[in-house]
Amino acid sequence: MTGIFNATRRDILKGGGTAAVALGLGATLMPRAARADMTPHEKELYEAAKKDGQLTWYTAHSDDVTAQALGRKFEALYPGIKCNVVRTTAQVAFQRVSQELKAGAMQVDVLSSTDIGHYVYLKDKKLLEKYVPENSSKVLDIYKNYDPDGYYFVTSAGMIGMSTNTSKVKPADAPANWTGLDDSKWNNQIALGHPAFSGYVGTWTVMMRKLYGWPFFEKLAKNNPRVGRSINDTVTLLNSGESSIAGTAAQNSTVESLKKGNPLAMIYPTDGTVLILAPSGIMKGVKHPNAARLFMEFLMSVDASKIWVEHFTETMRAEVPPLAGVKSAKDVKTIRPSVEEISKGIPEVIKQWRETFGV
Amino acid sequence: MSNESITIAGAPSRGGALRRLDPSMLLWLVMIAALIFLVASPIVRLLISSFQEAETGRLTLANYRDAYFNVRHLTALANSIELGVGVAVLAGLFGVPIAWAISRTDMPLKGLVRILVLGAFITPPYLGAIGWILLAGPNSGWLNRLWIAATGEAHGIFNIYSMPGLILVVAVTSFPYVFVFTNSALDLVSSEMEDAAQILGAGRLRTVFRITLPLVFPAILGGLIISFLEAISLFGAPALIALPARFNVVATQLWQFFEYPVRVEEAAAFAMPLLVITIAMFALQRFLLGRKGYAAVTGKGGERRMIPLGPWRWVMLGYSFFVCALSVLLPMTVLLQAAFAKAWGRGFSLENLTLANFRYLLFDQTQARDTIINTFVYAGATAFVSIALALAIAYVVSRKLVPWANVLGFLCMAPFVIPGIVLAIGFYAAYAPPPLALYGTGTILVLAFTTRYLPIAYASSSASMRSINHEMEEAVRILGGGRLLAIRKVLAPLLKKSLAGAWILVFIPAARELSSAIFLVGPNTRVISVMLFDLSEEGNFEVLAALGVILLVATLAIAAIGFRIIGRDFMLRRNV
Repeated sequence: MTGIFNATRRDILKGGGTAAVALGLGATLMPRAARADMTPHEKELYEAAKKDGQLTWYTAHSDDVTAQALGRKFEALYPGIKCNVVRTTAQVAFQRVSQELKAGAMQVDVLSSTDIGHYVYLKDKKLLEKYVPENSSKVLDIYKNYDPDGYYFVTSAGMIGMSTNTSKVKPADAPANWTGLDDSKWNNQIALGHPAFSGYVGTWTVMMRKLYGWPFFEKLAKNNPRVGRSINDTVTLLNSGESSIAGTAAQNSTVESLKKGNPLAMIYPTDGTVLILAPSGIMKGVKHPNAARLFMEFLMSVDASKIWVEHFTETMRAEVPPLAGVKSAKDVKTIRPSVEEISKGIPEVIKQWRETFGV
Repeated sequence: MSNESITIAGAPSRGGALRRLDPSMLLWLVMIAALIFLVASPIVRLLISSFQEAETGRLTLANYRDAYFNVRHLTALANSIELGVGVAVLAGLFGVPIAWAISRTDMPLKGLVRILVLGAFITPPYLGAIGWILLAGPNSGWLNRLWIAATGEAHGIFNIYSMPGLILVVAVTSFPYVFVFTNSALDLVSSEMEDAAQILGAGRLRTVFRITLPLVFPAILGGLIISFLEAISLFGAPALIALPARFNVVATQLWQFFEYPVRVEEAAAFAMPLLVITIAMFALQRFLLGRKGYAAVTGKGGERRMIPLGPWRWVMLGYSFFVCALSVLLPMTVLLQAAFAKAWGRGFSLENLTLANFRYLLFDQTQARDTIINTFVYAGATAFVSIALALAIAYVVSRKLVPWANVLGFLCMAPFVIPGIVLAIGFYAAYAPPPLALYGTGTILVLAFTTRYLPIAYASSSASMRSINHEMEEAVRILGGGRLLAIRKVLAPLLKKSLAGAWILVFIPAARELSSAIFLVGPNTRVISVMLFDLSEEGNFEVLAALGVILLVATLAIAAIGFRIIGRDFMLRRNV
């Protein structure tokens, strides 16, 4: 079945929705009580957060479907707090944050970008609120201590490989490595995201430049790729048959679509699959500080990891195993640029990209 | 109540000095201040900030240097002009023949064609663009698939991701401007001059091109200019089509100035050509029309006969349907298919049908419901505010209550020539930061939309104001009623219907506005157009199409209720 929702997910979402409604109704009828399994810190935070009543979450961590599922789950766990989920690409989210900063009217509470450079900049300008979530000590080791000062924390991780439409490309013809994209047989057939929109694609571009230099992109441009915006765009282009190979394929959205029966195959390049560690942080002076803190706890919780895994994204917690049959970061060779390389590199590669690709 | 009876009653008139102390004067001053706040201040602010340094506010020319000493920026400017000219030409080719056929000939099924043109007017350009991506994506579009299936060739022939593709997409949604302008002008031209030409031996075709169309040339030119200006200021359709086609236009380039670091000042400098082009267009219009007389439009309405086309009427009908197919029928078919499809690429089959996209939007998505409500609340509020303001100004102007009243009329019409995206930057610069700090509020959206559509409201209000003889309200005042009473009891009831019409004319475009909304929305004030734009980043066309269908159905429903109340619509006049 190749629908937008497969049966299990529909049930999950429906169940989540019903639970939210039921809890919402319950909340209006009886005094809201914290669940029994909450830690004292969580309970205290929840009580304070109820006064905030809501929070606004700008996220680029996933596609809209996954982001909405996380928002709904949070609302179900903590009745009385509304979560406004605004899913955009990383640069669009940051563009709105910049506009809000310039206008002196912060709207966002929690920012989940995929461009680590955003946090380096915001921390440097003292625009982030320091908050060390209790759950930050419980995530897998690889995610710990990303910012030793405690201004931002890894809350999601994903991998970028390539993918093909299997009805158009035979497995034998698929390239084994990134450099295969330069082959002229892919003329007019390549789908890419855009580094000026997607933090995933920005990080990937920095990594490719580091591996092969900018000529890699000049050759790529000769193959006249279809440049979209989000990295998830490439899944649509492949499914519709508009393109036959994606040079930037996020493992989660690709595998999710593949599991629904779309003719896709993921490629994990021999030089390494690009691993993205995507952080979240609370903006300074937000309107809903306690709800924001509670949400940071939630993003690093077992409940959130369950949703990540259901949507084929890496788990944050040891308690939640990866889905059987889905490759995880520990199963493949991964590569990633350093924080400095990313935060310095992305603005540079956006400029170079515009010169090479025209947009 | 007739005028004469009151005049005869002859109550004593108040003195001139008392009249000047009329308390309603205060209200007029408030309205005038509002106009300055809405129109003059953002534009002046835009102009000033284009000469300011970002951090210090010192005067500088650096913004202009940065904006124009860049090949990509200049290419974007050239692309916009190419787009505008292409759209104007194509919109003329689409709009003028249909307008002529409906107004002057015996073409059958005129009512249906009018409804389809109305459909094209209601369709936002970005929805048309999504429809056309599904139709003419080079490898996967329906038209290309049909072509490949029919000819057995390896590749399709249409590529929507190109400048011609973008021109087509924008032209099919903007030709109704040319149509409406031309059609209403043709309706006023009597057959006498055409008869004269024919008596002197001119053939039918020659008469059309030498007599009829030149007579309505000012109207056609007006329509073409509006199409041109619409095209160069659009943001949504170029973002969807030009970006994957790998070229920029001014609007998408302006958007890049809002990327980090936000460069409002450079954006302001880069927006100036749009204003200059607009002014140049209207100067060109004046020059072209010159002192020639177009007085055939006397309003006296000589006899108008329909030209019998014989078999050619079927050709005209075929052409009309062809244009309507491009603008409404084809894009709507594929949009509906996608909205109700599990995966649009799997085609038209029962097995592929689902309501999941609508359920996702209405129940699973945390923002969609609020967004839908926001859209219609803001559009409704915009319609009320702009009409109230326009009516007040139209009243001041027509009754000459203040000196230089005509300046006010000009200010009301001025936003007409300011591209939406430029207006939004002006609003952002003027009202987003403190002291007003309107960023992220619904107010700033309603104010920006009000400014943007004030010209429509003003044109309607002042036209209906002119149609009402001021003696009627003077009668009230003679009998001792104040001006406000006269307005409430006499003017308002008389104007009710035409104001309802104006309300719909403002409501429809305000409900779909993207260009001026994109810089002004906050997370809690999102409108459907912006949400469509955000969703389009992922290319999830099924959900996008479903949201588009919700927008269209709700807009149509509200417009239909309005049309019922006033008994007609602005294009489908009752007598047709």
